[in-house]
Amino acid sequence: IERLLHMSVFSQSFSPCGKFLAAGNNYGEIALFSLSAALGPDANELSQKPILTFTAHEGPVFSLLSTDSHLLSAGNGEISAWSWAELIKKCLCALPPSLRSSLEIPEINAMALNPADNSLAVGGGDNNVHIMDLENGAFKSVLQGHTDYIHCLSVRERASEVLSGGEDGAVRIWDTRTSQCVHCVEVYKYETCARPQHGKWISCLTTDSDWMLCGGGPSLSLWHLRSMSPTSVFPLSGCQRQATFYQDMILTVGEGQCVSHCLMGGEVKAQIPCTPHSINTLAINTNSTEHRVLTVGGSSDHIDVFTNLSYKAFSLRF
Amino acid sequence: MNVVKLHLISYHFCSEAEKKTTLDQSLRGVLGDQIKASCDEYLALIYISIEAVTEGICSATTPFLLLGDVLDCLPLDQCDKIFSFVEENVSTWKSSTFYSAGKNYLLRMCNDLLRRLSKSQNTVFCGRIQLFLARLFPLSEKSGLNLQSQFNLENITVFNKNEQESTLGQKHTEEKEDGMEVEEGEMGEEEVPATCSIPIDYNLYRKFWTLQDYFRNPLQCYEKFSWMTFLKYSDETLAVFKSFKLDDMQASKRKLEELRTSAGEHVYFAKFLTSEKLMDLQLSDSNFRRHILLQYLILFQYLKGQVKFKSSNCILNDDQTAWIEETTKLVHQLLKEIPPEGEKFSAMVEHILNTEENWNGWKNEGCPSFVKESDELTRLWNLHADNMEACKSDDREFMPSLDEFFAEAIEQADPTNMVEDEYKVVRNSNYGWRALRLLSRRSPHFFQPTNQKFKSLADYLDSMVSKLAKELPKDIPSEEIKTGEEDDDDNGDNLLKESNDSPSMQSKMVSNQQMDDVAAKLGAKWKTLAGQLEMKASELREIETDSEDVDMQAKLLLVAWQDREGTQATVENLVSALNAASFTQIADNLSEA
Repeated sequence: IERLLHMSVFSQSFSPCGKFLAAGNNYGEIALFSLSAALGPDANELSQKPILTFTAHEGPVFSLLSTDSHLLSAGNGEISAWSWAELIKKCLCALPPSLRSSLEIPEINAMALNPADNSLAVGGGDNNVHIMDLENGAFKSVLQGHTDYIHCLSVRERASEVLSGGEDGAVRIWDTRTSQCVHCVEVYKYETCARPQHGKWISCLTTDSDWMLCGGGPSLSLWHLRSMSPTSVFPLSGCQRQATFYQDMILTVGEGQCVSHCLMGGEVKAQIPCTPHSINTLAINTNSTEHRVLTVGGSSDHIDVFTNLSYKAFSLRF
Repeated sequence: MNVVKLHLISYHFCSEAEKKTTLDQSLRGVLGDQIKASCDEYLALIYISIEAVTEGICSATTPFLLLGDVLDCLPLDQCDKIFSFVEENVSTWKSSTFYSAGKNYLLRMCNDLLRRLSKSQNTVFCGRIQLFLARLFPLSEKSGLNLQSQFNLENITVFNKNEQESTLGQKHTEEKEDGMEVEEGEMGEEEVPATCSIPIDYNLYRKFWTLQDYFRNPLQCYEKFSWMTFLKYSDETLAVFKSFKLDDMQASKRKLEELRTSAGEHVYFAKFLTSEKLMDLQLSDSNFRRHILLQYLILFQYLKGQVKFKSSNCILNDDQTAWIEETTKLVHQLLKEIPPEGEKFSAMVEHILNTEENWNGWKNEGCPSFVKESDELTRLWNLHADNMEACKSDDREFMPSLDEFFAEAIEQADPTNMVEDEYKVVRNSNYGWRALRLLSRRSPHFFQPTNQKFKSLADYLDSMVSKLAKELPKDIPSEEIKTGEEDDDDNGDNLLKESNDSPSMQSKMVSNQQMDDVAAKLGAKWKTLAGQLEMKASELREIETDSEDVDMQAKLLLVAWQDREGTQATVENLVSALNAASFTQIADNLSEA
């Protein structure tokens, strides 16, 4: 019970078929949940428990990512790839990962997939962004520039750019072809966004073609990438840890027991209460229409599931 | 028509009662013959029968029998026209000639019609019939009341409990075999169920619609286990309402419109649509929420209320009462948050529920009639045959006499009583107003023109009071008045002296008549007298501006002098002034008069 009390969910990822959810916690475990069971009309308490739990890493699983066939998990210094097919078959024996990275990267906080060239961007505690080729698992390049560890990554497909946010308060935009940093925005230097009382670190970053959302110490703000200036600043009190564009809204989570729905203009439309007091991860299952749910996890062993964005339907539990 | 001829022939040879029966029969016969005719002809015939009743040649029940016959034979669309006729004549039905004879027939006729009509298809017509009945009968008519406060237990809300039954409902099916309509938002058996395209919260769906069963039959709430379930489901549902705030009105309206058009032409709200696909949309709809929240409030009112027909074990325990109180507050808060005009809606609902309490009380007393007999009103009305005359009678004379009213003021005016100014009753504005009114009716002093300027009503009243004091009957044995006179003597020695000569006359106040005489004699020379009378220049100017006529001016002078002098405006004083101004002749005339 104590264990459950102290559990924090750091990462989530949906299976390519959209029927399963993988979640990683601070104990290094990954749990697999069946969404079809949990969402079905005959769902009961058992359906809300994982169909499979296994220890993936020694340290917390800060980042999870799914490709078409594999689940990638990042732990203390290593990246493991698990076959979704195998996972779904629920092999309870100790599952060796299909792949383990060759390079030891301290404390991987973020991973981002670039489908254009099938590469994986990895942000680490060594202040660098490493680009790995998924074909062979080899590391192609290193993007250096940050002066403190990387918190978050985002890929801008159309422009072949990778964006990284770090503890040093900077958001850097890298061209993947040249591996050069094309822009560096020090968000905390902008008065409209800055919140010195919280610090300068950027914990959340996401892009949507021409727009970028970033936040953390500074307020969550919406930036227009061409002009590189903040167009809206969102009046949310806590530090935001994850934000995403969804339809014509922005959904964001962080410190605070709610999911905030915001509009592009800067207005906070609604704040929907959730179970965890502080939320680390927010995910929307875009891989399936009938299981299109929003899930949030944070400082709790519960993962809230929303069938309708405006209220919590039920919770999955580790 | 032959039937009529035959009856007419026998008509002459029958008694009154028999005549009536004959006419009744003939009318019915004619109607029967005319069965293929148009509505207008029926109505004409029925109209004749009404006239006949009024004339007294036909029994009062006949029009109703005729109506009944007609409605029984006609198809529903024509019944509509006949019914309009019935509606228009409601005042006739309510009149004494027709009411007692016809009310039962009318009731039966309406009930028959209602049974034939479909509540969902002919809602308007059913409504009209109900409204007509409501107008026809008094409020306490027992047949129209749910005397026992029973519930419509047949109003069951059906929803999908199993996955297999869940389909993409597009059309509403109505089972017409037994007339019972069960709308489920389901489709016909032919169509193949398509796969669900949105995630569905079955948990909420089931709990939500289960609540309807509690609203249908509130007595379940008194059973322990049912109550627990109700509590749990309600908490969850209300938590969803709380979490899911409504704001985007336009978007939800649009979605609902789309749904409606896809669901077919028949859209009505007699029952809830319970397809699980609709759940999300329903939750975003303001009106839907208001329905549900209102259901809660009505339920709570019933549970808490004193209803005579509840059995003795239908009592809430403390926990339940506490939960109901808390939840009522939450419901009202949620109502206030629902746009548009949530606050107004919530206030209105509260008001209506309060009114309900009255109706509940009325029911508990067995629905007594509202026509009140009041003894008190009858007595008042019957006091006098002609109320206007009664008002004129003497014992309705309430105005006090001058001496009664001013007695207190006069007493206070007396310096020996040493009543301080601020306590004088003349300073009371209320008293002052009444005093003025009384003076205007009773005292000639009121209308005497005066030049004296009074700074306040109180001062004016003071002077009036002193004038009145002089005039009042002196038979009041009062030491005060005597001492008052003594004081006057102190002020004017010459008064005493002159009074010795001609006591009765000289010490008298100058009368109006005397003043007129003097004024007439003075004429333009009044200014000379003014000097003797110690009038100020400003006052003289005022007199001049007030009037052009010299006699009038003289009069004004004297009046001003009188006002100023008050009790000192005696004949002696005037005489001495006149003498001093060398108007000896006038003075002599005055003394002699």
